[in-house]
Amino acid sequence: MHYKRELLKGSTDSLLLCLINNQPMYGYNIIKEIEKRSNGYFQFKEGTLYPALHRLEKAGLLQGRWQRLPSGQERRYYYITVKGQKAMVERLATWQDFSTAVALIIQPATG
Amino acid sequence: MPAKSSYTDSVKDYLRLEHTIESDVVRELNTHLEDKSHELIESGLSEEEASITAASLLGPPRVVARQMYEVYSQGSWRQALFAALPHLLIAALFSLHFWKDTIWLFGIVIAVACAVIYGWCHGKPAWLFPWLGYCLTPVIAIGILLIYLPGNWTWFAAIAYIPLALLVVVPITKKTIRKDWIFASLMLLPIPIVIGWMLALELDDTLIWYEQLQGFASQIALSFAVLALTAATFIRIRQRWAKVGILLILEILILVIVALGNNSAIGFGGWLLLVLLSLMLVLGPALLERKIKASDQKQLRLYNKSAR
Repeated sequence: MHYKRELLKGSTDSLLLCLINNQPMYGYNIIKEIEKRSNGYFQFKEGTLYPALHRLEKAGLLQGRWQRLPSGQERRYYYITVKGQKAMVERLATWQDFSTAVALIIQPATG
Repeated sequence: MPAKSSYTDSVKDYLRLEHTIESDVVRELNTHLEDKSHELIESGLSEEEASITAASLLGPPRVVARQMYEVYSQGSWRQALFAALPHLLIAALFSLHFWKDTIWLFGIVIAVACAVIYGWCHGKPAWLFPWLGYCLTPVIAIGILLIYLPGNWTWFAAIAYIPLALLVVVPITKKTIRKDWIFASLMLLPIPIVIGWMLALELDDTLIWYEQLQGFASQIALSFAVLALTAATFIRIRQRWAKVGILLILEILILVIVALGNNSAIGFGGWLLLVLLSLMLVLGPALLERKIKASDQKQLRLYNKSAR
């Protein structure tokens, strides 16, 4: 469990950037979407999501904007910035290289 | 929903960020609690249960606030340099022996005044407080000079001066504490060092203290250079406990420089008193903040009562 938490902690920023790159979202929306898309595998501790979003915003990778929903309520939507898109591409490439290397090691040796 | 408002109130209490950021964070957490409560009510919980559960799922307010604080508490390198600048100017003043040069002295006074006015009118950023400290230091320094007045004049002057000095120091410190007590600690940091060096000089004899000042100049410069390092490190560190730790450790290190520099003229007892004063100035604002908050809440309750 601890290992899974550490893995999630290390990938939080990349997951958030990927998700928000698809469409702008607000906090609660993000938690639900991550849970849905990962079939419940990723379950964010709700309180840790907001500091992560604000950290990415402070780094200039995201931009938060208050927007009114059709119901009249306001939510803080996060948009990915150009810098954020570049960072996401770099991180995804690194992640893919990493997972390929891990897969190569895990699979049984042939020959 | 009392659980929701008490949760966000607690977060606000621990946050200690700029007002605009703070209200944004609280508003955002409120919307999250609204959504979560709505979901829980739909799943069959009562409104009160939903509100309590939603708040507990967000985690302890202190932890959320701490994580949020660490996002915004780190200043840029430029801010760190600007926070260190007043101390660096004083260090340069002594290391280059410019303390005899009126133009330099006047230049520093103007720089301090401009930086303080600009910072005070632009949301009191963290770099302002070391500069603000130099507005208070002369008030304390003049107080010490009163010791050297002849005869009973010291007492007369002290009776007149202390209330006047408090009139300047108390409101500024109070306003700073209202923003965040940790900034008051940063602001008051030079006071024990200035007192230490002033006590090391024999100020009643013009010739001697002038010579002594020349002799101490390099150590005085070193102590203010370490103070500059302290201010810059304070700005760059994210964690609150580490900020307080760095203030305490480096302040005591500077006082060791002061003690070694003046050949133990202040003695071990004097040095201990300076260390105690430093502890009081670094940690005292935290206690004062509690008192100020308690009295603010009391006033608010009285106001609400009378409004009803």
